[in-house]
Amino acid sequence: MAEENLVQPDLAFIKGVMDAGGDTLNCCYQCATCSVVCPLSTPESPFPRKEMLWAQWGLGSKLAGDADVWMCHNCGDCTKYCPRGARPGDVLSAIRINAIRYYARPKALANILNSTGGVISTVITAMFAVLVTAFLWSRYTGQAFPIPKGTVVYHKFLTVVPIDIVFLSLAAFVSYVSLKGIIEFWGDISRGAGLPTSFNGHAVTPAWSELFPKYMWPAIKEILSHERFKKCGEIKERATGHIWVLWSFIILFTVTIVVMIQADILGNIWPNAGFETPLVWYHPIKIAANIGAIMIIGGTWMLMNMRRKKTAEGIMKSSTQDWILIGIIFAVGISGAATEIIRLINIPVLAYPTYVLHLGCVATLFLALPYSKFAHLLYRGTAYVYQHWAEDVKAGKAGFGLEKPTTREKM
Amino acid sequence: MSKKVGLYIYTGDGIAEALDIDDLVKLATDDLGLEIVRTHSDLYSPEGIAMVKQDVEKEGVDGVVLAGISPRYVYRAFDFPGVVVENVSLREMVVWSHQVNPDDENADKMKEHVQELAEDYIRMGVVKVQKNESTEPFKMEQVNQRLLIIGGGVTGMTAALEAAEAGYESLVVERESELGGWAAKLRKQVPIGPDYSCLVSPIAQDLINKVKANDKIVVKTNSEIARIAQFPGEYRVSLKETGSKSEWDAPVPLTDEEKLDEKGNELSAEDQKKIYDEKNEGRRHYMDEDPNAEICGAVVLASGWKPYKPADDEFPHLAWGDPDVITNCQLEEIAKKGKIVRPSDGREVKSIAFIQSPGGSKDDSDFPYASAVTSLVSLKQAKYLREDQPKDGRSYIFYEHMRTPGQYEYFYKGLQDDPGIFLSKGDVTKVEKNSSGGLTVNVDNTLIGGSISVEVDLVVLATGMVPTTRDDAVVNLAYRQGPAFRDLDLFGGYCDSNFICFPYETRRTGIYAAGGVRRSMTIEESMEDAAGATLKAIQCLKAAEEGHAVHPRTWDFDYPHFYFQRCTQCKRCTEECPFGALDDDEKGTPKLNPSRCRRCGTCMGACPERIISFNDYSIDMVGSMVKAIEVPDDDEDKLRLLIFACENDAYPALDMAARKGLSWTPLARIIPVRCLGSVNVAWVKDAMSSGIDGALLLGCKFGDDYQCHFVKGSELSKTRMGNVAESLNSLGIEAERVKMEQVAIDDYKRIPEIINGFMDEIFELGPNPFKGF
Repeated sequence: MAEENLVQPDLAFIKGVMDAGGDTLNCCYQCATCSVVCPLSTPESPFPRKEMLWAQWGLGSKLAGDADVWMCHNCGDCTKYCPRGARPGDVLSAIRINAIRYYARPKALANILNSTGGVISTVITAMFAVLVTAFLWSRYTGQAFPIPKGTVVYHKFLTVVPIDIVFLSLAAFVSYVSLKGIIEFWGDISRGAGLPTSFNGHAVTPAWSELFPKYMWPAIKEILSHERFKKCGEIKERATGHIWVLWSFIILFTVTIVVMIQADILGNIWPNAGFETPLVWYHPIKIAANIGAIMIIGGTWMLMNMRRKKTAEGIMKSSTQDWILIGIIFAVGISGAATEIIRLINIPVLAYPTYVLHLGCVATLFLALPYSKFAHLLYRGTAYVYQHWAEDVKAGKAGFGLEKPTTREKM
Repeated sequence: MSKKVGLYIYTGDGIAEALDIDDLVKLATDDLGLEIVRTHSDLYSPEGIAMVKQDVEKEGVDGVVLAGISPRYVYRAFDFPGVVVENVSLREMVVWSHQVNPDDENADKMKEHVQELAEDYIRMGVVKVQKNESTEPFKMEQVNQRLLIIGGGVTGMTAALEAAEAGYESLVVERESELGGWAAKLRKQVPIGPDYSCLVSPIAQDLINKVKANDKIVVKTNSEIARIAQFPGEYRVSLKETGSKSEWDAPVPLTDEEKLDEKGNELSAEDQKKIYDEKNEGRRHYMDEDPNAEICGAVVLASGWKPYKPADDEFPHLAWGDPDVITNCQLEEIAKKGKIVRPSDGREVKSIAFIQSPGGSKDDSDFPYASAVTSLVSLKQAKYLREDQPKDGRSYIFYEHMRTPGQYEYFYKGLQDDPGIFLSKGDVTKVEKNSSGGLTVNVDNTLIGGSISVEVDLVVLATGMVPTTRDDAVVNLAYRQGPAFRDLDLFGGYCDSNFICFPYETRRTGIYAAGGVRRSMTIEESMEDAAGATLKAIQCLKAAEEGHAVHPRTWDFDYPHFYFQRCTQCKRCTEECPFGALDDDEKGTPKLNPSRCRRCGTCMGACPERIISFNDYSIDMVGSMVKAIEVPDDDEDKLRLLIFACENDAYPALDMAARKGLSWTPLARIIPVRCLGSVNVAWVKDAMSSGIDGALLLGCKFGDDYQCHFVKGSELSKTRMGNVAESLNSLGIEAERVKMEQVAIDDYKRIPEIINGFMDEIFELGPNPFKGF
């Protein structure tokens, strides 16, 4: 028994949580007020009380395998009512930041993307990479470098093909790292919750055919509607900014994909068929993109104000990691808008550098997905899916092929 | 001496409506022959007081009976020098507790009962005053004003300093060669004031310096008490070198077992004396006077505690016996020397598990004699390791109870803030050696969730603080009842008499306990306690000076008087006195030490010859009150029940019951007594022979959580009434007519049930066969 239950408090983990905004961690004396006031905590698996103790004990791996850490949306109710000033909300934020770091590979990138200097360096590096690509591309197209002649048309500088070469490879890398983290996370939370494992110790997973309709789709609906976020007590208004940003991402992601398909594929097949960028302002895609731009800027602006206000009220603290994520997204929004506006005004000397900056910011945001606070999208999303799944497993309705008879019954 | 008694009947508060006052006046003037009988509708107002005062001054009234409200509501307004005042409770005990519903078909009958009840109470009150004799306080020639302080730790030193500040000299006796006690052996201590959140340097040295510099304090180190003889105001204290033998060592009486032979029969007096002499060879008789004794007026007992040392085979599941499993006191010793090192190999310790409760599968109790202090000490020592190993020191504390009362919550909070101190509730199931040479601690039911194990270099058991009085007499009194406090096993050896009501009091008047000997305490609490006990000791000196009792009967100047011609030397009084106030001579004739006496009357209740009485509370007085009750001898409805009620708890409960409108049978007559221990069986016999049909004794709870002000009163009474059963049977009276019930002060709701229930039993038995004789 000794072996499997052995705990060894990780003093570095405790320091990590304390440095990431959880410095009040040790004030907790396990009264459970937090679990009672939390609008999201469930009686079956109450949080954040147990997480507080685990963190005090430096049980980093136990916390990494705790899906409840991600059920918290940091509304600050617990922090407001905590009789000891332990600020469970902030501690959980800090724990999440540490969990992201725990799953991040390689760790060096996580360290870079969680510090302000590191992020700025990344943006600069990305800009440099863009410049190098553009320079090489100019050798091929014969356009002037760095400022192409004539009115501002960005594909003179870089067309979609080289951008895609850079960004798609980046996307592949990010996807790989993210997926790896998610799979590891899934295994940890399954074991953490004591779900049955297969004979060779693997965590149970839903069949592929079940995964999307039964578990992912309900989770996606919850995320899109911010159903849980809206239950948050102290920080209701936060949901608005967050939902703006989320939807702006969806819009901007969609228009980017559409443009990529149009310009890269269709445009190459049928040149001069009207697929080339820039699109005219009344083009539906362009309208959607501009709405997305407004929402990303407006949403982050709201989030920034909310954070400042709530910090002043003592409801929540904001860590470097919080500001880094907001900062990058805001930079993406502002630089994107500036790129468009300067193009319309037609000042080549300003336009192309702004475009480079924008691409640098976007690349950094992309890269930050599995490493920074941005990864909450991955892990909270996964935790949502997992929660629906675990309920079924615990109820004996899923796992080890059990789901099949249930499906048949329903049919 | 005959008294001129005045009776004053209060007619307010519904008394006049419920009772026939004229009839009562007539009773007093015609039957009782009182000259002065007055009524007043506002007797307790300044006018009422003035009326009584005028009679005292002009008419020479020296006995006042106020028939009105319960004595518990009358304060000192009727305090006239040389005048005995008795309060007869018409309002509570008659009117409020026996309200007659006019619609009731038995209303007339009931009114008659209530009227008779009032009449009886007036008769009893008047005779009580008539039997009250004047009293002279016992004054000692000289009351020594110096305090003896046993123990030179923080408690003792604080007591000496507090006494000095109040202007009293003291003699501090310390067993060890240096002052300071445990507090001087600590690396750091729990704070004694704000800021409570961190450890502070020990304050003992500061106190030692102050004590040494104070010219009112004499310190004797390397010394202990051989004996303390005599009584408050003039204790004769014989000292000796620590650990040595002295002819002045207090002799130890025979235990109950030693008084028996192999067959269990009591040995003859000569044989007992022989064994006693053997047992106490080389010791002087307890009444002998040591010419070299130090004289002190009162004693503060601050002998503190000693560490609980587990037996060799205790806690096998905690690996007790392994050199790396130690107690908190042992750790303190190691920590005082420098960095914490492992006893087995001298390596610096990086991790410690502090175990607050033995755990196992038994229960969640802490170590014996553990308390809030052991919780605080574990927190403190957890921090020692963190100070020694700030980078990677890990202190685990596994507790069933983490007790950090009051301001110490901040201490808990402060130490919990250290990221290297890990706390969890849990049951420690096993400590075992592991392959890396350390110890693995297995804990079940942790807050973390389920079972966990930790690997540590050292395991510390939070064992408790054993009061010095558990195993030693310490005070070594040269008393008839022996050198030690009695019945301390009720409190696990802690020195206390009645924890709730009388802090600092011990069962030996003039000796006041403080600090760790009384309860496990922090240094801060011990110092506060020392001040309290010192003030109690000073109060005792004042009481001895003025000749009155100490708490809880400080108004009593009278003390027991013995009619020695009829003493049979049965020794009941000397053995039963809860405070050891009585010594005796060779033959066994009791000798009272009035300044040790607390006036409970237990000796009076014990005496089979009825030769012990107070002037203001006597066998004759209560016997006469019993006889003053009118017992109709031909009316089967008018049976009579006599109740002796302890005035400390049972009587207030009756008062409260009456105030709450609860009622009981009007056939009961209540006599308040100082303590059920003072109830002499003669009174019960008097009652039976005068035709009273039943006797009920309402006393305090006894046993482990006793509530008796005089420790054993109700328990003794229970035994005595058991003994009286036999003699009643021989007279043809059913033993069931006498009963004892335990009543707590808040038991008022049970009062009607107790009294009426017993009355029903008496009705079952029928009238007393002695009625009419």
